Amino acid sequence: MRLTDKFRFIRQNIKKNRVRTFMTILATAMGCAFLIVLASIGYGLQQSIVQETLEDQVVTKIDVYAKEVDGNYNSLNIDDVLVLEKVEHVKAVTRKIQLRQLPTYFLEGYKAETTAVSTHFPSEIASGLKISEGRLPEKANEVVVGYHFTNYLHTETEENVYDEDTGEIKDEFRYSDNIIGETITMTVAKNQEGDIFEEIPLTVVGILEEPTREWLINTDVYISQEVFEQVEAFTGTPGGEIGLDPEVIDTVHLESYDSVHVYADNLEAVQGIVDYLEAENYATYSIVSEMEQVNMLFTIAKAGLILVGTIALIIASIGIYNTMTMAVTERAPDIGIMKAIGASPKTIKQIFLLESSYIGIIGALIGTIVAYATSVVVNFGLPLILESVFQEEMPEGLQFSAIPWSLVLIAVAICLVVTIISGMRPARRATQIDVLKAMRREI
Amino acid sequence: MIKINKLSHHFELGKKGQKTIVPVLKDISMQVNKGEIVSVVGKSGSGKSTLLNLISGFIRPIEGEIWIDSVRVTELSEARFADFRLHHIGFIFQSFQLIPSMTAYQNIELPLILKGESETKRKQQVERLLEKVGLVDFKDHYPSELSGGQQQRVSIARALVLEPALILADEPTGSLDSETEAEILDIIRGLNQELGITFLIITHDEEVARIGDRTITIKDGSLVEGGIVV
Repeated sequence: MRLTDKFRFIRQNIKKNRVRTFMTILATAMGCAFLIVLASIGYGLQQSIVQETLEDQVVTKIDVYAKEVDGNYNSLNIDDVLVLEKVEHVKAVTRKIQLRQLPTYFLEGYKAETTAVSTHFPSEIASGLKISEGRLPEKANEVVVGYHFTNYLHTETEENVYDEDTGEIKDEFRYSDNIIGETITMTVAKNQEGDIFEEIPLTVVGILEEPTREWLINTDVYISQEVFEQVEAFTGTPGGEIGLDPEVIDTVHLESYDSVHVYADNLEAVQGIVDYLEAENYATYSIVSEMEQVNMLFTIAKAGLILVGTIALIIASIGIYNTMTMAVTERAPDIGIMKAIGASPKTIKQIFLLESSYIGIIGALIGTIVAYATSVVVNFGLPLILESVFQEEMPEGLQFSAIPWSLVLIAVAICLVVTIISGMRPARRATQIDVLKAMRREI
Repeated sequence: MIKINKLSHHFELGKKGQKTIVPVLKDISMQVNKGEIVSVVGKSGSGKSTLLNLISGFIRPIEGEIWIDSVRVTELSEARFADFRLHHIGFIFQSFQLIPSMTAYQNIELPLILKGESETKRKQQVERLLEKVGLVDFKDHYPSELSGGQQQRVSIARALVLEPALILADEPTGSLDSETEAEILDIIRGLNQELGITFLIITHDEEVARIGDRTITIKDGSLVEGGIVV
């Protein structure tokens, strides 16, 4: 018997019991929609959290904090950097050292106190460092400043320059001109009193990009290694630190870095590099590793939600079982006639299994459409409801429900399996119908 | 065409532990030759319908064997027997056994669908048979919209549609008036002469039995007359 003829039989049979079939399809659709919507919350929240975490971070970046040697964690130095640079798939290794005192910067009647950081610009460029204005330094006395540096540059005055409400510098005291090309004077002290100091002129050639998170403030001044060493030479202490006991100073030059970041050349290589570095006793952190753990937790949660949703489908399958059992009973005389003239038990079984699968597929399709509609409503309506009830603003971009194709496929597959299983017993019963009893209408 | 060897059958009645065995057929041996019309007669309860059901494979014998077209059908599995029935045997029943939700055309088409024939071939075959049994104008009628004679003609067309060599007829005119009975018997005779189809007709009506080239009489489950001993 051809498949098209089997489907023709099924359509004829369904037409005979439209209402009953419709109700069964409805129950299946509701079960399927429930499963998808329930699991979509897991998917939605996972997507929101992962997106939120990844949104503002360079996913190929690996933070390397220290190296474990004989149970002690040592800060990283240039030797470590050279080792890290040789690891396969490493694009760049950036390293920063912060000056151990807070310099003051002066510019034509304006001043600011903020951190100076020495960084290795070639590796920063290789890692993809971008500036919002100007260019990167090319000479030793050229610097780039953080995006918010000018916000902290205020008029030299005895008045209170800070706004009492916001804590920020009042507009009238704030530097408002373009700083690119201007020469600022960095003043570093040699002693705690500040009466011995040195002035180092630096030309601002660029402003870094705004930090991706709105609450991050970057006012740092990025100086060259030469300027950093100049400060060390002036203070005679590592990192230009002041107030150190001269007896404890064993070196003038600070050799260990405050932060070292390894950049992979592609996302897939990150985990491999992390594994390698961990094997080499480096303490690392990577957002990719963290996301793997987050994803694992959400996978477990989603599996749980799908399991709960499947229960709804199993309940719906009772309806399918009932519908199919009634169909077999009602059609017993027809089945008897078909068997008498030569329909094999396999054909009879296939017709009924196809019928229950048909109900399952139609139910799953309707359920999927309903689930998508529900998801849209939930994503639009739930934040409004929560905001009005709790008087709290929901995080921007928070998605409560997301339905990826994989979830639809999982739901349809579960729906299909459940409906086939629920149709199996009635189908088997159909094959066991006694021809003579059926033809005598005794069933 | 049909060879039956020492066929016996009984039914078990009553509940488990208190079953009564009722013998229906006892040691039947007979033969039906190719191209013959053989009538099986006997009183009600004599076992003639059971004999037909055993040959059809609707029930399995307790003892003995049945051969159809050199195939020992008593050894076939249910699925293989169903396939054998589809390809080798046509059926005409007393109560027509048409599917009520199908039109005359669809009922005749059913064996072709089960065989997996193409729609073109099905159409060709069904229309030829509708013409043969004189029901072209009634092809879209449902069984409930047809007279007894017309229903039986649909049933005959369905039995013929796969061109079987053997047709088993169980009281083919049992539900018909005498005029229609004569029409149906004419069709059967015509098919036998024209196509050489072998007929085994079960009947209690001596008038119908006379259509046969040979009559086999069964009494109390035993063959008493007409069986050619194998």
